[in-house]
Amino acid sequence: MRRVIAFALVIACAAVAAAVAGAAQTDATRTAKAKPKLPPLPAEVKERGRWNIGIKCDSPPFGYIDVQGKNAGFDVEIAKWFSRFAFGKANRISFTCVTTPAREPSLTTGRVDLVIATFTYTPDRDTRIDFSRPYYKATGRLLVRNNSPITKLSDIAGRTIATTSGSIYDRWMKNCYKDTKVLVTDSFTNALLAFRDGRADALMWDDTVLLGIAVADPNLQLTDDLFLPLPYGIGMKQGNDAMKRWVDSRLNLMAKRDAFQPLIKNSVPARNLPTFAKNVLRPGQVFYYSKGDLTTQCT
Amino acid sequence: MPDWVDPVAHYMLEQGLRGTLQLAAISLLGALVIGVLFGTLLTIEFRPLSWAIRLYIEIWRGLPIVVTIFIIFFALPAIGQTLEFSPLTAAGIGLILWGSAQVAEATRGAVGSIPREQHEAAAALGFGWVGRHVFVILPQALRRLLPPVVGLAVNIIQNTTIAQVIGANELLESGERSVERLTAPPPIGLGEVHAFEIYGAVMVVFFAISFPLTRLAAYLERRLT
Amino acid sequence: MRLLAFEWGYLSDYGSELAAGLWRTVYVSAIAIVGAFVIGLVLGAARAHRVPVVSQLAAVYVEVIRNTPILVQIFMLYFALPEIGIRLDAFTVAWLSVMVWGGAFNTENFRAGFEAVPQRFRDAARGLGFGRLGAFLNVTLPIGGRIALPSSINTYISVLKNTSLLYVISYPELTTVALQINALTLQTVETFTVLAVTYLALVWTMSAGIRLLEGHLALPEAR
Repeated sequence: MRRVIAFALVIACAAVAAAVAGAAQTDATRTAKAKPKLPPLPAEVKERGRWNIGIKCDSPPFGYIDVQGKNAGFDVEIAKWFSRFAFGKANRISFTCVTTPAREPSLTTGRVDLVIATFTYTPDRDTRIDFSRPYYKATGRLLVRNNSPITKLSDIAGRTIATTSGSIYDRWMKNCYKDTKVLVTDSFTNALLAFRDGRADALMWDDTVLLGIAVADPNLQLTDDLFLPLPYGIGMKQGNDAMKRWVDSRLNLMAKRDAFQPLIKNSVPARNLPTFAKNVLRPGQVFYYSKGDLTTQCT
Repeated sequence: MPDWVDPVAHYMLEQGLRGTLQLAAISLLGALVIGVLFGTLLTIEFRPLSWAIRLYIEIWRGLPIVVTIFIIFFALPAIGQTLEFSPLTAAGIGLILWGSAQVAEATRGAVGSIPREQHEAAAALGFGWVGRHVFVILPQALRRLLPPVVGLAVNIIQNTTIAQVIGANELLESGERSVERLTAPPPIGLGEVHAFEIYGAVMVVFFAISFPLTRLAAYLERRLT
Repeated sequence: MRLLAFEWGYLSDYGSELAAGLWRTVYVSAIAIVGAFVIGLVLGAARAHRVPVVSQLAAVYVEVIRNTPILVQIFMLYFALPEIGIRLDAFTVAWLSVMVWGGAFNTENFRAGFEAVPQRFRDAARGLGFGRLGAFLNVTLPIGGRIALPSSINTYISVLKNTSLLYVISYPELTTVALQINALTLQTVETFTVLAVTYLALVWTMSAGIRLLEGHLALPEAR
């Protein structure tokens, strides 16, 4: 009897070993087949040995300066991933702080290779620079005070709404809500300050940022409206196909590995993480850019 | 002292203030070198040269410094791909253009106020135009220039804050970034606004630097007259 | 070369927006200049005559404003005051910031002007029976005001130029509007050429016009 059991065990081990070896074999062939598919690092970056990446330095949670005075944020973390992909280390990056109006010019002049700075895709911008595949999906929301007369989007008529200068929201309201007074500021925090100070009746911006504020402040809330789904893309110089292939492939890789989700853990209150999960790329998820100019499409 | 103060103070003083002082030093130096040269050349009775320098002075004094800096930062790269500068460099060039125009004007006045006899005596001693100016005229003129130059130094130090609008990391910008971080809800920041304390501190730092220099300029002015 | 490809259609497309911005620049500057004149006159007189309390407070005001950057003052008024409960809208901060700044410099201008009035003039006024205020209004002010004219003019021109810094609070004056147009269209060369030419035209005209005025108002001895 013992011999039978021992024999069965040996067969079982052999079977397992064969299965593992077989799997490893197929895995190896699969990897061996997959390796050549990853596009190579663009030559200019490889020669330099570092990335030049433009990021925001005053826009939490995407790009800001942390307590130690270092660049931090969701976009910054993506940049560090790119550095690891390219050079094996996370610190082969020269960060350049870009303000909103400086994003495009810093690409066209070659000051930076990539711009990862809450850069929303628009067909108009696409005529001058190239965008990667979308990596973050933001939706517009409206932040109001609890007892505000504004309960839905259509209530903004005739009122003052704060947002950032030149943003998608700025242009959309100017096109579609002509009797709304748009109070523009050069950065989101200034728009928030303007709203808090009572200079505006509501604040229009990306859901992920507004959600954190609404949750943290019991006197504020979001209206139920969801509008202007506008994904962020990574900006790069127009015509740089090698760069686009590399960036898109690595974004795909990160999505497959579900690498985006952990990146926001350090930036977002824990109770908001589930909402963020819908905005970042998860495995098998794809975001799309709208081909038309959404700022002219009034509902 | 609340917890948030220490790291913010470190960041602002070590990174921000350093940027301010570097920018101010380079701008002052550039402004002095170019300004004294142009101001001296302006005293030569050669129309094309004095008109060219006069145009330079009127343009860079006439434009608001922020507009000059915007032109260097945004417009130059659009003309020529190689003409693109980092925010601090662009701000430095802008401040040098403005500062040199101020110094040139002051130098012209100072050199012009040196009596003819000095020129004649130097010429009699065998000095050429350059030698005359370098060894006799300029040393006297520069002494008269000292009060306005100290005043200009104060202005340049204060005008480095204009670099903030293009995102250069000087003291005001470092304060703004800190305000942004602190305003963000936890875990990034505190969800509190500390703009008054931080910008107030920036004012105090600039006052501490400028006030003694302003007093010095006034003292030098009194000693001259 | 890119410079030669200036798009003249730019002016018809964006001319009205830029004109609106220009109007706001001039309007805010005008308010601030008038205010700075009044502040400089009153506080300069107080300082020159050593009026107790007012003179010292004015000195503090002048030293604080002159020794801190105007951009930081704008930040304080717009971003920091709300924290202690004072909310000012962008337009108020616009004229208030440059007026307070100009007023401080003008106080020094007028003080120097009044103090430069020769003592014998003031003594003569007293000898004629004028009281302190009368002496000031009839002798010190007209003469000292004219002495202060050149430096005052420089301050007023600087007030106009400093309105460009209101970009940081997004008050839609000329510079802010131009930058917004540039961000939208990236017609950089056109935008900044128009911006530079407009400011130079403004400043040079103001400069020349007021120096003409100065020629008319100059003291007989100075002519």
